[in-house]
Amino acid sequence: MVDGIPFVGGSINDINPDDIANLEILKDGSATAIYGSRGASGVILITTKRGKSGKAQMSYNAYYGIGNRIASYNLFNGTEYAAFKQAAQLGNSVNPGTTVYGLTTAEQAGLANGTNTDWQKLIFRQGSTTDHELSLSGGSDATQFSLSGGYHKDMGIVYGQSFERFTIRSTIDHQINKRLKVGLNSLQSLGYTNGANRFPVGGAVRLSPLVSAYNADGSVNLLPLVGSLDAATVNPLTIRDPLTNLDRSRRLSTFNSLYGEVNIIDGLKYRANIGLIYNQIMGGAYTGPNTFYNNATSYAQSSESVNNSENWSYTIENLLIYDKTIAQKHHITFTGLYSVEKDHSQSSSMSGVGIPADYLQNYNLAQAATATVGNGGFGERGLQSYMGRINYVFSGKYSLTGTVRTDGTSVFPSKKYFTYPALAAAWNIDREGFMRGLPVISTLKLRGGWSKTSNQSVGNYSSLGLLSSNFYNYGTTTANGYYVSTLANQNLTWEFTNSIDIGLDFGILNNRITGTIDVYDQRTSDILQQVNLPPSNGASSVFENLGKTKGQGLEISLSSINIQSKSGFNWSTDYNMSFNRNAIVELHEGLQSDIGNNWFVGQPFNVIYDLKKIGIWQTSEASQAAVYGQLPGQIKIQDVNNDGKINSSDLQILGSFQPKFTAGLTNRFSYKGIDLSIVSFARIGQMVVAPYLSADGTAQGYPFFGNGRVNQWKVNYWTPTNPTNDFPRPDASADKQIYASTLSYQDGSFIKVRSINLGYNLPATFLKRTGINGLRVYVTCTNPFIIYSPLVRSGLGIDPEGNGYGGIVASTANSTVPTAGGNAGSRVITTNINNPSTRNFQVGVNVKF
Amino acid sequence: MKLINKIFILFAGTASLSMATGCKKLLVEDQKTAITQQFFNSPVGVVGGITGVYGTLRGLWGTEGFTNQTVAGTDETLAGGSASGIQTFTYANIASNTDDYKFIFQVAYQDINTLNGVLQYGSTALTDPTQRAQYLAQAKFLRAFLYYYLVINFGDVPLHTTYIADVTTSDSRAPIADVYKQIIQDLTDASADLQNTPTAPFTGKAATKATAYYLLGRAYLTRGWSKAAQTTDFASAVTAFNTLIANKATYGVDMWQDYGDSFKPGNEYGKETLMVIDESSDVKYGNYAAGGSGGSYNSTNYFFRPNYPSMTANYPASTGANMMTRDIANGRPFIRIRPNTNYLTTVFAERTNDSRFDKSFQTAWIANTASVSTPRGALTVGVDTAIWMPPFEVTAARRAAFKGVILTPTGANGGNAYTPVFFPSMRKYDDPNRAGVNDPSTRPFIMYRFSDVYLLAAEAYFKANDLPNAAAMINIVRSRAAYRTTNTVAQNTAAVAAVQILPSQVTLDFILDERSRELYEECTRWWDLVRTQSLGRRLQQYNTEAYPAYSASNPADAFSLRPIPVTEINLVTSGPKFPQNPGY
Repeated sequence: MVDGIPFVGGSINDINPDDIANLEILKDGSATAIYGSRGASGVILITTKRGKSGKAQMSYNAYYGIGNRIASYNLFNGTEYAAFKQAAQLGNSVNPGTTVYGLTTAEQAGLANGTNTDWQKLIFRQGSTTDHELSLSGGSDATQFSLSGGYHKDMGIVYGQSFERFTIRSTIDHQINKRLKVGLNSLQSLGYTNGANRFPVGGAVRLSPLVSAYNADGSVNLLPLVGSLDAATVNPLTIRDPLTNLDRSRRLSTFNSLYGEVNIIDGLKYRANIGLIYNQIMGGAYTGPNTFYNNATSYAQSSESVNNSENWSYTIENLLIYDKTIAQKHHITFTGLYSVEKDHSQSSSMSGVGIPADYLQNYNLAQAATATVGNGGFGERGLQSYMGRINYVFSGKYSLTGTVRTDGTSVFPSKKYFTYPALAAAWNIDREGFMRGLPVISTLKLRGGWSKTSNQSVGNYSSLGLLSSNFYNYGTTTANGYYVSTLANQNLTWEFTNSIDIGLDFGILNNRITGTIDVYDQRTSDILQQVNLPPSNGASSVFENLGKTKGQGLEISLSSINIQSKSGFNWSTDYNMSFNRNAIVELHEGLQSDIGNNWFVGQPFNVIYDLKKIGIWQTSEASQAAVYGQLPGQIKIQDVNNDGKINSSDLQILGSFQPKFTAGLTNRFSYKGIDLSIVSFARIGQMVVAPYLSADGTAQGYPFFGNGRVNQWKVNYWTPTNPTNDFPRPDASADKQIYASTLSYQDGSFIKVRSINLGYNLPATFLKRTGINGLRVYVTCTNPFIIYSPLVRSGLGIDPEGNGYGGIVASTANSTVPTAGGNAGSRVITTNINNPSTRNFQVGVNVKF
Repeated sequence: MKLINKIFILFAGTASLSMATGCKKLLVEDQKTAITQQFFNSPVGVVGGITGVYGTLRGLWGTEGFTNQTVAGTDETLAGGSASGIQTFTYANIASNTDDYKFIFQVAYQDINTLNGVLQYGSTALTDPTQRAQYLAQAKFLRAFLYYYLVINFGDVPLHTTYIADVTTSDSRAPIADVYKQIIQDLTDASADLQNTPTAPFTGKAATKATAYYLLGRAYLTRGWSKAAQTTDFASAVTAFNTLIANKATYGVDMWQDYGDSFKPGNEYGKETLMVIDESSDVKYGNYAAGGSGGSYNSTNYFFRPNYPSMTANYPASTGANMMTRDIANGRPFIRIRPNTNYLTTVFAERTNDSRFDKSFQTAWIANTASVSTPRGALTVGVDTAIWMPPFEVTAARRAAFKGVILTPTGANGGNAYTPVFFPSMRKYDDPNRAGVNDPSTRPFIMYRFSDVYLLAAEAYFKANDLPNAAAMINIVRSRAAYRTTNTVAQNTAAVAAVQILPSQVTLDFILDERSRELYEECTRWWDLVRTQSLGRRLQQYNTEAYPAYSASNPADAFSLRPIPVTEINLVTSGPKFPQNPGY
């Protein structure tokens, strides 16, 4: 919510952080109740800066920063790669001793002369960030205004990736008369993103380190893999050329919120909020031939595309607010709301093949030999809401809040409306008389609430069971085809959650130590799910309200001022820790497990359910391995039921993506004008999947992992002379190692230092004569180091924090991977080889005039 | 000032009121990008549903995983150096990889449900009786076609003949006898109602009467071999095939005079083709994209190729220049499937009077790269043969006199043998008309050829103990195989005479060998061996790569049925558990 208006279709990139006055996160049901179903998963409230009456004030904020990869991916070097290929040849399980992936003539020469090309160095660069913001605000008693303009530029660490944003914002608030007040906040943003669809990393890390990126004469070695199966691969140095590699999108967005307030009688107020968001994206791409992204050799296969989309959304809210204190002890607030919201999106795209010259790029698709129209997109969704809330506070000690809200949505075909109540109570214990005897306790507040929240988060038209379409030719006659792939569900309706939460806020020793403890219990029913259906019944999936889950948690936060010395030295610490547990309570038809959807009663929604690797078959175990049709050097799986077969009855739950706990620690130091803060963060006990340590013979995982065709992660692989239990023997015959999915599950626990910030506020005395009211300079380092990570320590990854959901290899014995929402793999937290996290250093200045 | 207040309140009131009236519309879903199921209730929708089914078949025939499942793990093929889905070739660990066989299961049932919808709505949506009969016959043909492939892959399978529009999470397997009964019923109806020749809107080489009779005969023949056999099956198969042969002029189908013309690019819609899964170079309708591979592209032009561009001038040493450059004529090497050398040279022992080996395989690669020299001399582009892989052994002297590199089946006389990377290239799926060397095929995938009618008829006669007619049918195919355009009339006549066989020569193995000679690697072999209950025997005889794991199954020959996909077993969550096939 930005200034009270849902930020539908908005991007966080549309907002200049300098324009934000306050950012608040609401989690408990009673607090989110007023925001309705949109707030089912919590609410982030962003309040932007507005003008204040008084002398006009100008400020200028700027920073510049550089960023580098936190580490290189740990791949085989030249000689290791040659040895690995040799091992794959010897390990060929079908035609022993043979390989199709032998060293090319160039690689043999490279091995002889010690070539060891680090392709990562060629595609990565040092990134940089530039940011400027100038703002002016002020006003009279009746009218306040603020104006600001910002510029931001990010040069990504991958050649070809960058982001640039221009923002202009203005706010005005005006008191027309005693009864009427109006205001406007208008935020315009223009952003250019380059290279958002360019992912060179996965391809570049596969390249042989034994060949040089440059020819002897210094020119680019265009086809470094010539003579191999991948001879057509073009040198990734070509990604640096912006002419032949265009991928640019322009986003123009405008966010406006207008309000009017009328004081009808004393304590009764009517307020109208009107929000309008509109954004338009125009994007497109071009790749010329003989480039890394397009290895075709002629302009007949140059490729280009353009796409356009618009989104708009409006919100109209009518609020009636009554606020009255009776007899000085009874404070009553009533809020009534009626609102409507409509969201709209529309898109079109076109692509072409065969542009005769690079300089045309994607500007004129009529120049393409063939142009293809992409799918058009259209979606509209409406939401209608009524809400009433009453809050009663007695004597500043006891507070009671009741809320009832009804939401109606267009996405459900017949059961459109849902009504949900919420109750909350609070007791400010510290204001009780009996507390006067306990001066050590300065704040004590007990809070509690019960609420029902609901969720409508399925895509538009999910219940309609629309036909899939395809295109066919009967000889020279073309025809459009349709087939049934999903089923309609007339009964699709709201998912809802009942939650109870109890919290305690406390402060002792004059609030030198303050803290909050929260416990909650949530029960969710009628969960909206895309459910996979047995293939033999035709349609593959349907959206349904299915099953029940529970969530329980304990969240603790503590703040302490450790040192507050007269010399001006201060040290304070913020600490927080959360324990959250989610589990499925009930599945459809009373099932205890639904393996086809990867759901198990008593387990979190997303678990890893697979065979368990217990080592590698050793040479001495050849006869035991043969029982399972395996050879020494292959992955040894736990045969749970000891039936001499590895199949679906040997599957087990190997872990989940739910941390045991998360924690944060921030230390702040200050001395006179100098301040230093260190933010660290921990997440312990969850799994993460490293897809690049597995392959399944398709595009999932890391294609050709373990067969010697391409370079890969440097793993400790089995050979007859290296009887490890880590990774199986390379096998040149297979495009996937058997049971490869079991290699990718890793411990995702970590403790990281997120940032270190050092600032200096120049003393006012020093600034006196300059006319500057305040000047602060600072340096910041983000991602300075990882304190603890089993994944990093094992050498099998550089960052344990997941950076995506895709790419996982499905279990050999169980076709599914952990899902929620029915899309295979969509909820598996993976840490993959793509853009690595960066370590950034920034220098900044804040000036107030 | 008071006026402002009034205007403000009036404005707010009007806004609220107009919101209230607009709200009914606000909560109605009105999608604008997809077709709804009600569409089947119109003539265009019926054609659209049938077209949708034809379109999804592209996701099977011509794709990598499915192509493996039609020819790998048989006597004809071995795994190429870059084979995918290796367990389909070797049967090793096949028992755990049950989802690898889900593609046809998924596509077939999705299509069957769509066809059941078409049949249900179409009977009322179509008012013209002729049109109704013809369109619904397409749907029945396709339903039978899909059930046929389900039953020969998986055995007992769920049998649905009505449209499923509501969610069900239970299902069970019908005995193959019931499935065959439905197939034969649908094909009998389709053979009565389909058009004689492809007619709009189902032009090109969509199903016709001829296709229905072919598949009807094949279904009878397959059931005749099975445990659900009826005593009349082989006779019924003969009748279906003979009806087709007797009416071939009416249906516009026949064999080409030259065996090579039957799969020649440009002849896909010709007289020998009974049905195609259609493809073209149209980027929207033709399942084609420059550089496309994987997905549903017809990539049969890649799979059977050796890695000719990696052949080095000093072979077997990997030094010297690469002798060949990848080009359109020689194709994109995927090295997935290679002929089983031992079997290849056995069935094609006769290559003088029988032209089929020469027309089915590419064995010579003409130099296409400048400045390549072997130790035996410099190669002239377009003139010299850079790589030659004859199906016979050569002497050391001949090798020494040959500038290029020679590979032979066993590498006798100190030579080099075929390898998993270098082997004769099956050329029936070649597509010289693509724009780029890495492009998928723009050619329709030929499902059935007319010569197979004679071979299947021969098999039916053989099973009915009518060897003279079996031999007569085989001789029709062999006589055509003898023909070469380069021969004189007298030479052709002599060749035809030389290849004739006698009724006493007809055995099951002879029929299977003849099928290989005619249909080598044409994406039907695995089912042929399974139908004739010969898979284990032929693997033992010819395929040492596959037989050890195949023969280890418990019970024996369990791997001559594909496993039920684990996806299906897992997702049947109500009612009785969905049973797996034995051995998996």
